[in-house]
Amino acid sequence: MSAKSLVHPGEQWFFYWKTSAALWESQILELPRDEVVFLPLNWGFHAENNDQWDFGEILPERDLFRLASLLTQHNRKFTWLIPLTPSPFLPNGGIPVTTARTLSLSPSGTHLACLDHEGRLHKMFSWYEPKVFQAWAGFLAAFGTYIAKRKIKAPVWGAQFFYKEGNDLVSFLTDSSVAFEQGFSRYLRKSHPEGIEISEPSKEAVLKQDFAREVNELFKVTAEAALGPFWVGSQEICVLGSGPRDTLERGLTSGRTQLDFFQDIFELFTKNIWVSSSLLTHDEKKDLLPKALINHFGQTAAEEKYHYRMHQGEIGEDWRPYSVVDVVSSRDDAWEKNGLFPFLESNLRWLYGVHKEIPFTTEAIENSSHKIKFFHGSTLDRTAFGQMLKLFMMGQRVVLDKSGLTPELEKRLQVFFIENNLKLQNVNYLTAINLTELGDGKFITFEGDSLAGKDTKEFWKNIFRFIRMTLPEVIMDREVFGLWNIRATGNSDLNYLDVRRINLYNPTSYKKSVTIRTHKHFAFMKMVDPERAQTKSTPDGVQIELLPNGTVALDFGHFEEN
Amino acid sequence: MSLHLIYFFQSSQNQNESWTPARYKVVHFFGDEGFIPDTKLSELAKSDPHADFSDLTFLSLDDLKSFANRVAEDMGSDSVRLLSVQDYNIGLDGARDRRELKEIFVKFGETVETATPSKKKGLFGKLFS
Repeated sequence: MSAKSLVHPGEQWFFYWKTSAALWESQILELPRDEVVFLPLNWGFHAENNDQWDFGEILPERDLFRLASLLTQHNRKFTWLIPLTPSPFLPNGGIPVTTARTLSLSPSGTHLACLDHEGRLHKMFSWYEPKVFQAWAGFLAAFGTYIAKRKIKAPVWGAQFFYKEGNDLVSFLTDSSVAFEQGFSRYLRKSHPEGIEISEPSKEAVLKQDFAREVNELFKVTAEAALGPFWVGSQEICVLGSGPRDTLERGLTSGRTQLDFFQDIFELFTKNIWVSSSLLTHDEKKDLLPKALINHFGQTAAEEKYHYRMHQGEIGEDWRPYSVVDVVSSRDDAWEKNGLFPFLESNLRWLYGVHKEIPFTTEAIENSSHKIKFFHGSTLDRTAFGQMLKLFMMGQRVVLDKSGLTPELEKRLQVFFIENNLKLQNVNYLTAINLTELGDGKFITFEGDSLAGKDTKEFWKNIFRFIRMTLPEVIMDREVFGLWNIRATGNSDLNYLDVRRINLYNPTSYKKSVTIRTHKHFAFMKMVDPERAQTKSTPDGVQIELLPNGTVALDFGHFEEN
Repeated sequence: MSLHLIYFFQSSQNQNESWTPARYKVVHFFGDEGFIPDTKLSELAKSDPHADFSDLTFLSLDDLKSFANRVAEDMGSDSVRLLSVQDYNIGLDGARDRRELKEIFVKFGETVETATPSKKKGLFGKLFS
C-alpha cells in the first residue's frame, strides 16, 4: 500500500499518525488545494501516561500545532474530528493502551473487531468502563486548552461511528460486555434509588436503551462543554466494512464484493448518513467505488455536510443532489408496515430521504419546497406538528400518518381544518383518508395502522397520483444504481425549467440495461463521461447499456408542466 | 471447500413463570466464498421439527450438528467447522491481522465430517453468482 493511501484513506481524511511528521508537508501538498482536510483525532496516540497528554513535546508525530500550521501555511481548510464512540480505524478503538480493559461485545455475543486498510485487526474496547470516560474527558480538556492556547482556529466536529449489520445501523457504543452491564447496574441504582423490579426482558431492554442513549448524550455534551468555542456539532458516520459480519466477510478469500459496498453506500445516502471508506483496502476500493464515493460523498457534499457551504433556496448553476420525498422517521418500522418504504423502494428508488427531523430554517424550507413531506403521528410533538401545518400553509405537499397522534394534537388538527375553512375530501380505501388543498398546498391524512398486513401498492399509487409528480421513469435492474442531481439552466442551455442529471453505475460483472422514459416533460440532452456504457435515443426516451463496471451520466432538460 | 459455523449457546431461562429451554443459535454460517443466504439456511432448518427455523435456533448441540451436516451436504462440502462464540472470541483476542483472523477457523472449534458428501460440486459458487 502506498504511503499516500495510508495517510489519505478517503473522504479527505488525513491520518497524521500514519507517517513521520517530517513527511507531513509533502503529504499535505499532494492534497487538492480547494478541499477541506478532515483530521480524525487519534486520542489514544497522544497519551503519555494516565493523566498526561502529549501534543509534540515528546513525539513530533503528536505535534498538532505544527500540523495545523502546515495546513494553514499551504492554505488548506481543515476540521478536527473528535471521536464520540469507539473508532474502528484506530488500535483499541482509540482508547489508550493503559486504559483498554474490557473488549466490547456485539449484540450477537462476538467481540467487536475491525480490519483496517492495511489488513490489521483492531479490537474495540468498551467505553462503559468509568476509566475510559475519565481518560477521554481528560484528553478533551487538554486538547481544548491546547488549541485555545495555540490559537488554532479550526472547527471541531464530534464523530459518532456506526456499522451496518443487515438493515440496521449500529453505533460502536452498542455493547453488551461486563463493563456495560456494570454501568447499567450503577445507572439503575442512581435513577431508581428506591429499587426497581425488572420482571420482563422487554422492560430490561428498554431500560438498557435509555441507559445507552444517556451515555451517548453524555459523551456529546462533555465534548461540547470542553471544546465550546470550537465545537460545531456532531456527525453520524457509518464506516464501510466495519460490522462483525463485514469483518468475517472481508477476511474470507472472496472478500466483500463491490456490489455489497454499493448497496451500503446508496442505502446510507437515502438515510442521510455520512460514510467513511477509511477501512477499505486498495483492492476493495477499485473499479467504480471510488468514482461513486467522489461523486456523492466528495468535496461538494462534504462542504455541505460540515457547514462550509449552505444551499441557497433557489437552485443555481452547480449540481446539487435531487430527491422528491422527505420522510421523517417513525417508531417501530411504521413506514415499513404501512407500505410506504416498499413503495418508494420500487417506484422512487434513491429519490427519497429519511430524516430524524426536518430542519425548519428558511434555507431548508426553500431548498426542499418541491419535496413531498411525510410525517408520522408517533413522532410528532407540538412544535413539529405546528411546523408541519405551516409547511402546508406555505404551499407544500404534506402527508400525515395519524397513527400514534396524541388526542391533543388530533384535536388541534380538527380545529386547524375548521379555522381555515378547509374543504375535506373523505375517501375510504383500505383506510380512512382525508384530502385537502390550499393554493399549491396539498395535505393528506390517513390511518396507517389499518394498512398493516394489506397490499398497499394501489393505495400509495393513488396517493402519489393525487399529489402529482413529474419525473422521468427509470426502469432498471436492482443491481444497477443511480442518483439524480439538479441545476438551473445556464446560458448555453435551451429554455428549460431546470436540468436533471442521473449518474448510473453497474457494479456487477454482468451487462445491464436501463430504460429512461421521458414522458413528454423531459428532453434527453447529452451523455457525460461514459465508461463501458452506450446510450441510444428512442422515441420514448433513452436506452442505456452498461457493461460490467460501466458508468455514465445523462442530462435531461425539464420542460413546462401542464 | 470447508464451511464454518459460529454459534451462540443460551442457557435456559425462567422468567415470570415462563421457561425457555437452553438453545443453540446460529450466528454466522459461511464458506470461503461467502455467507450462506439466510433464506437457504431457514429452508434447511425446517426439517428439524424442534428447531426455530426463522431464528435458526436448535435445542441441542447434536441438532445443531445435524443441521450443519445437512447444509454441508447441500453445498457439496466435506466438512463444517463449528465454533462457539466463546471460541471465536478467544481466537479473535489473539489475532492481529487478516491472516490470523482466518487461522481462527483452523485452530479452534470442532470439525463435523459430512456423512455423505454431495456430488453437487460448484453449487456454492452458483449461489453467489
